[in-house]
Amino acid sequence: MDIISQLQEQANSIALIVLNTFGTLQRDAPPVRLSPNYPEPPANPSEETINITEQPKAMSAALVQAAKKFDALIAALPLEGGEEAQLKRIAELQAENELVGLELQKQLEAAEQELKLVQALFSQASDNCLNLKKPD
Amino acid sequence: MAATSSSYPPPPPYYRLYKDFLEDPTSAPEPPSPIRGSYPLYSATYTTDVVLPSLEDQGVRQLYPKGPNIDYKKELRSLNRELQLHILELADVLVDRPSQYARRVEEISLIFKNLHHLLNSLRPHQARATLIHILERQIQNRKQAVEDIKRRREEAQKLLKDSLQMLDGH
Repeated sequence: MDIISQLQEQANSIALIVLNTFGTLQRDAPPVRLSPNYPEPPANPSEETINITEQPKAMSAALVQAAKKFDALIAALPLEGGEEAQLKRIAELQAENELVGLELQKQLEAAEQELKLVQALFSQASDNCLNLKKPD
Repeated sequence: MAATSSSYPPPPPYYRLYKDFLEDPTSAPEPPSPIRGSYPLYSATYTTDVVLPSLEDQGVRQLYPKGPNIDYKKELRSLNRELQLHILELADVLVDRPSQYARRVEEISLIFKNLHHLLNSLRPHQARATLIHILERQIQNRKQAVEDIKRRREEAQKLLKDSLQMLDGH
């Protein structure tokens, strides 16, 4: 896939990671203590509470990875030459293409002439051969 | 019966002008020339001039500087930094003041729109680079073909000369 499409894909995947990160954290967050009068919410160490402490680390690591990949892709952009330089190069290449095309056509025509000549001579020679053969 | 229940307008009545087309093709009018510029179609306006609309046209604030020559790599990198900062800001806001998320989310989407617009404006450059690549390859192919033809012609001439020598020696 070309580099610009990869950059677009990477931007979209960063958005997806952000979405998943905040959504998961909001969904799984333990209840917040509202006032000192109410008792602490019961923090029972189950499997889910263990996951909750691990998830932010893993997801933020993924986010940082995605951002670094984006930077690497930016560095890989082949962006030398502005618009005028490109247009000038295109004009040069078109002129060269014309010249080489004319040369090719010339060679082709000369080769076709030679082919016709050889074919005519060959048919003449074979006719002579046939005529010189004595009938059995 | 059909006219009262049809919901679309009838076709234009130009067909009457082509009554004698078979006998005299010049008696009927020429077809209209292709449309240029913008045209309405099913009450929506389309344009024939395909160009990327600028961000102001879409009502989106442009975060990177305008100007003839944009340093794409620098702007993309700085937009990436801004994005990361705004994500951190959003996380902070959700911890402290959760009801004020809307502004932060709007800013993040603004950054994404700018990012995608910048990437889209790189596409013409890519198209020109592809064209250059195609032209270079075509020139190479043609030169190769010229070399091949020259070589074959020389081989054929050598063969004929050899066979002539052989026949003369006979």
